[in-house]
Amino acid sequence: MRKLKLLACLMVILAITAGLSGTSVRAADPVKIRWFVGLGTGSETEKIPVQEEVVKAFNESHPDIILELEIVANNDAYTALNTQFAAGNAPDVVGPVGIRGRDQFPGAWLDLSDLIKETNYDLSDFDPALVDFYNVPGQGQLGLPFGIYPSFLFVNTDLFDEAGLPYPPAKFGEPYVDKDGNSVEWNMDTLRTLAMDLTVDTNGLTPNDEGFDADQIVQFGFGAQWTDLRGRCSLFGAALPVDADGKAVFPESWSTCTQWFQDAMWKDHFHPNGPYGGSDILNKSNWFQSGNIAMVQVHTWYFANLNDSKFNWNLAVVPSYNGKATAKLHADTFMISKATKHPKEAFAVLSYLVGEASGKLTTLYGAMPARKSLQADYLAKLGESPAFAGREGMNMQVIPDSAAYNDNPNHEAGLPNALESSDRITKFWTALENDPAFDLAVEIPLLVADLQTLYDVK
Amino acid sequence: MSVVTESTSQVIAARGHNRRVLTNRQREERWGFFFISPWLIGFALFTLFPMIASLIFTTYDFTLSVPDEAKFIGLDNWRRMLFEDETVWRSLWITIRYAFLSLPIGMIVAFLLAVLLNSKHLMGKAVFRTLFYAPTMIPGIASILIFVQVFNPYTGWVNRIIEVFGIKAMGVTGLRWFDDPNLIYLAFVFIGLYGIGNTIVINLAGLQGVPTELYEAATIDGASWFTSLYRITLPMVSPVIFYNLVLGTIGSLQYFTVPFVINGGSGYPDGTTEFFMIHFFKQTFRFSNMGYGATLAWLIFVIALVATLALFGTSRRWVYYAGESNR
Repeated sequence: MRKLKLLACLMVILAITAGLSGTSVRAADPVKIRWFVGLGTGSETEKIPVQEEVVKAFNESHPDIILELEIVANNDAYTALNTQFAAGNAPDVVGPVGIRGRDQFPGAWLDLSDLIKETNYDLSDFDPALVDFYNVPGQGQLGLPFGIYPSFLFVNTDLFDEAGLPYPPAKFGEPYVDKDGNSVEWNMDTLRTLAMDLTVDTNGLTPNDEGFDADQIVQFGFGAQWTDLRGRCSLFGAALPVDADGKAVFPESWSTCTQWFQDAMWKDHFHPNGPYGGSDILNKSNWFQSGNIAMVQVHTWYFANLNDSKFNWNLAVVPSYNGKATAKLHADTFMISKATKHPKEAFAVLSYLVGEASGKLTTLYGAMPARKSLQADYLAKLGESPAFAGREGMNMQVIPDSAAYNDNPNHEAGLPNALESSDRITKFWTALENDPAFDLAVEIPLLVADLQTLYDVK
Repeated sequence: MSVVTESTSQVIAARGHNRRVLTNRQREERWGFFFISPWLIGFALFTLFPMIASLIFTTYDFTLSVPDEAKFIGLDNWRRMLFEDETVWRSLWITIRYAFLSLPIGMIVAFLLAVLLNSKHLMGKAVFRTLFYAPTMIPGIASILIFVQVFNPYTGWVNRIIEVFGIKAMGVTGLRWFDDPNLIYLAFVFIGLYGIGNTIVINLAGLQGVPTELYEAATIDGASWFTSLYRITLPMVSPVIFYNLVLGTIGSLQYFTVPFVINGGSGYPDGTTEFFMIHFFKQTFRFSNMGYGATLAWLIFVIALVATLALFGTSRRWVYYAGESNR
């Protein structure tokens, strides 16, 4: 009797379960799409309401899809997403995320090529080079252009005024006019000369003066802030440490670049070395915000750091090398998880985020829209932001102009065995910026050999 | 017939009696299991099953972001770890070498400070005890970041103080604590001493448990302070020292936070900061090699287990447990 009761209960449970699962697959039900935010910007409290508005607007205009927003704090986002992938519970759409963040999840992203073709997606509003930027050999078209962050020079004009030096040019191709009125090409040599004039020790001496004390520097001339070897060397032209055949190389421009930076840190002393870069003098690592460095190269995402700036600053273009200027570019977009069960619906969401919602979201994230039609409005809005409020004569045109001089191939472009090879390159740079005795002639061949070993693994 | 009935009832009575005895015991056991079940369930869910899972992972080439592509590779991860990956043995040697430096210094300093804080001659004991314990309440990473500034070769106050004594310490030709392979472990040990408050408190508790009559008797017998320390204090607190030694050994094998925050896992300078757990972290979480990472985790687990068992093996010779001598 007891067994019969148990059997009956079991059958009832099975019937209920079957009924429930039956109702959940009805064709008319909207498809649920999860949008994961946190790998890049977007998880900050003040940014959440606008993203919720975007979700609401999408859901109202797409009755067949329910878009759900999942926001994870940036510190936890990588672990959380990895865990979701491993548990077979991956979100459908992920972003905004940059190239480096994307490459933390190798093989996890859907190739959008077929969906772009099937839906006849209009790409005419994008720079073709930016579309190609997301085409990864062996993996396909992993994203569409959304938000870009050009880089340029941030110039502390107070320090220039104090030294009686003219500011660097704000237009590509223009020369630098020095304090004696001489015009010289705005290139890496001129940058070096100018930066040395702006580097000062506790006695007010520059590296050009006799008695300059390199152990007591209180002001630096130039720094490539918050970037790595690949980012820094983009000043000398875009290049990758791998050739078309997958062979590890150390590009010629990198040889010049590493020597230039080594001299800048340890011989000419105008660029912060590792210990100076992490010191209180330069606000730990936020160099430009410290007010003790005359010029840095950073991207548009840095503006928020200057909201309460106590000193005057402006923008200038990056110098050229061998007659060509290269301003490294960061770019954010959205990806679709390869594990999604609803690629078409996920693509509809992605199209909306890089389309109708693009203006709103790029403003929110502080990015310049990749859509050409939205770029004019971007500068007007940026001029009203806290970093620029009350400042006059700002060289805003430097921003879109720099986008046109982007580094292609990009300094964040994927490498074979990207995670491990990037780690090896970081090791190289860490030693270069911390060890004055670092021997480039010995270390460069070692780096290339190690990279080749890592490229051969996967 | 009546005989049969009587014997049957006796059997039933006996069975009933046995059932009652068994039931009581079972009831006690059941309640026991009920009360420890939260721990048992927690242990099974969050320790035992993950350990079994990680042992299985060691036989897979497994990346978290693409679990569908996980591939069974047998003992390849073990072969790679034991015979091919040079970093494993180098990082293990670095870890053990650093443990031999930091562990004795940390334990001796913590013990001596505890003795000092337990001294009847010390004024303001409560204040000093609070001050020595206070740093442990500061998050580890925050205090490490402070020490990065403290040891900065150009601006740090350690070098500034040393220069007061006429020693060239500042600048690129001075004492570059985090850049010089000969100095970096000393800097790490110093940073480690900042967080020994817990060990001091444990030692202090042990010291306060030593009967004062022993010291009074020793004083009457004319024993010096050092003799009392050597003959009374150390044997009496040896279980506490043993406890700290076991925890310290396991902690040293897991040494990670300081080199990771200061050097970002780069191993700089000259690979001296490539500790075993840094290698494990990079393989597992930076490079997403979960299968290989699990293999590395098992290696350090086995080493920690062997080290702990070895310490327990030696404890009979030098750890004094009051009352055991009567056995």
